[in-house]
Amino acid sequence: MKSLRDKYCIVGVGETEYSRGSGRTTRAMAVEAVRNAILDAGLTPRDVDGMLDYQGGDSTLANWVAPDLGVRLNFYMDVFGGGSSTEALVGLATGAIEAGMCHTVAIYRSMNGYSEFRIGGTGVRAAQPVRSLDLAQVPFGMRSAGQNFAMTFMRHMYEYGTTSEQVAHVKAAHSTHASQNPKALLKERVTVEDVVSSRWIVKPLHLLDCCVETDNATCVIVTSSERARDLRRRPVHIMGVAGRVSKPRLDFHWAHGPITRVAGYYAKDIVFGQAGIGPEDVDVTGSYDAFTFTTMLQLEEYGFCKKGEGGQYVSSGIIELGGKRPNNTSGGHLCEGYTHGMNMVIENVRQLRGTVDDYCPRAAEGVHTYDYAPGRCRQVKDAEITMNLGWAIPPTGSALILHR
Amino acid sequence: MTAEGKPVPVPTAETRHYWTACREGVLSYQHCLACSRPQFYPRTLCVGCGGARLEWRASRGLGTVHAVTVVYRPPTAAFRPEVPYAVALVDLDEGFRMMANVVGGAPETVAIGDRVRLVWEQRGDAVLPQFTRAEGGGR
Ligand SMILES: [Zn+2]
Repeated sequence: MKSLRDKYCIVGVGETEYSRGSGRTTRAMAVEAVRNAILDAGLTPRDVDGMLDYQGGDSTLANWVAPDLGVRLNFYMDVFGGGSSTEALVGLATGAIEAGMCHTVAIYRSMNGYSEFRIGGTGVRAAQPVRSLDLAQVPFGMRSAGQNFAMTFMRHMYEYGTTSEQVAHVKAAHSTHASQNPKALLKERVTVEDVVSSRWIVKPLHLLDCCVETDNATCVIVTSSERARDLRRRPVHIMGVAGRVSKPRLDFHWAHGPITRVAGYYAKDIVFGQAGIGPEDVDVTGSYDAFTFTTMLQLEEYGFCKKGEGGQYVSSGIIELGGKRPNNTSGGHLCEGYTHGMNMVIENVRQLRGTVDDYCPRAAEGVHTYDYAPGRCRQVKDAEITMNLGWAIPPTGSALILHR
Repeated sequence: MTAEGKPVPVPTAETRHYWTACREGVLSYQHCLACSRPQFYPRTLCVGCGGARLEWRASRGLGTVHAVTVVYRPPTAAFRPEVPYAVALVDLDEGFRMMANVVGGAPETVAIGDRVRLVWEQRGDAVLPQFTRAEGGGR
């Protein structure tokens, strides 16, 4: 497979406040997030000539956001979709630049994911009509994201002996990380016991196995390595990317192949192949933790442990700050906020720069204590390579490997 | 669907035969005449070989639970009176897999490996396939 390893960089990241009631339009939030990323990169609006965004009929498209910023575009595209879009669009941005269509691309996601469009059973989506072929599952009360994942999780527990307690360590670890993150919506540390004693949503998911729906906008900016050299921040290089890699059937994936297999099975060779590294070389991971179980499944499918051993892996301490390979050091979707994948990429960029925005007084200068007690530091010492494991619906996944 | 009601199938060109058969008490599935694979749900081509010659066959309605979950938080208001309810992936003896509720008995007791048999649910003008534990089957 062809590789553009190290030819492109992420040079700017930005976001708005994580809240549960922004009181703002997705247009205003997108403009703020993109502006923050432009400033972070040390660019001006005139330096950006590409724009990509993703949405599910719940956001504002680039043709409204770019003019508000004073950006004239040579390339833009609004993509339909959720979680697996983040890494995929980073890949598309490099492709658009490589094709000569533009030189610097801002990628954003803006959503009132709590106050306007909730993913689950309530809110505007619940009133949408059922399309004909959805009738293979929707009439039986299977509609929300958690419900759609539940069969895979239940079968994994049956086949591999994975326990609720093992997987609850994901929430415990991410809540620990969030307690070092001033931006996080949920900063309180929770225990495994808290997770497994919270109420059932859909088996095997308890309330605290599920992420925190959020109002927020996020942005990352991609440009060539040559341009990146002259910019404000230490460039973060793109080593490999896989976008929306799918299982054999996207529509009713349960009917084909092992349902405990997730798309990372197909994505890993693409992304590791481009990067020329393996899982053992990765210092920090960023999983799509819409649920505790998705983290466990992704980490094993990408080869951070053997298939079936995800429960042991996530409960071993490896994924915690101070562990061998911390995961979602910002608190991720479970605690920082649910952004359809963007905030874990932003966090990994900051980790690689060494300037994670924790409670260390001189964090912005890259001075950290590496003291992971509550309310202190969350910078990983000497992080060189990070990996993002993007996800959306059960049979689709994306991935991104970055190095400093 | 209406805000109050549970989703009711609206037949399309691909699914009309299937839903009509349901109303007549027949669980139908497609059988590919080229590669002999069973297929569910109905489509225009065989997803195994691309074959266009698909024949309708009738299932005996007996199967085994491949995976099961219990829903506690209803996806829409219409399902609120039903929680908690069991949803299962059922492997029919004819070799295809489908999703439905397992009704009758406590939902938490439905387990992978349970034998189930087809029952019908009238919903609006439509009839939906559902399952219940087969007598003497399962555990
Ligand atoms: Zn065939």
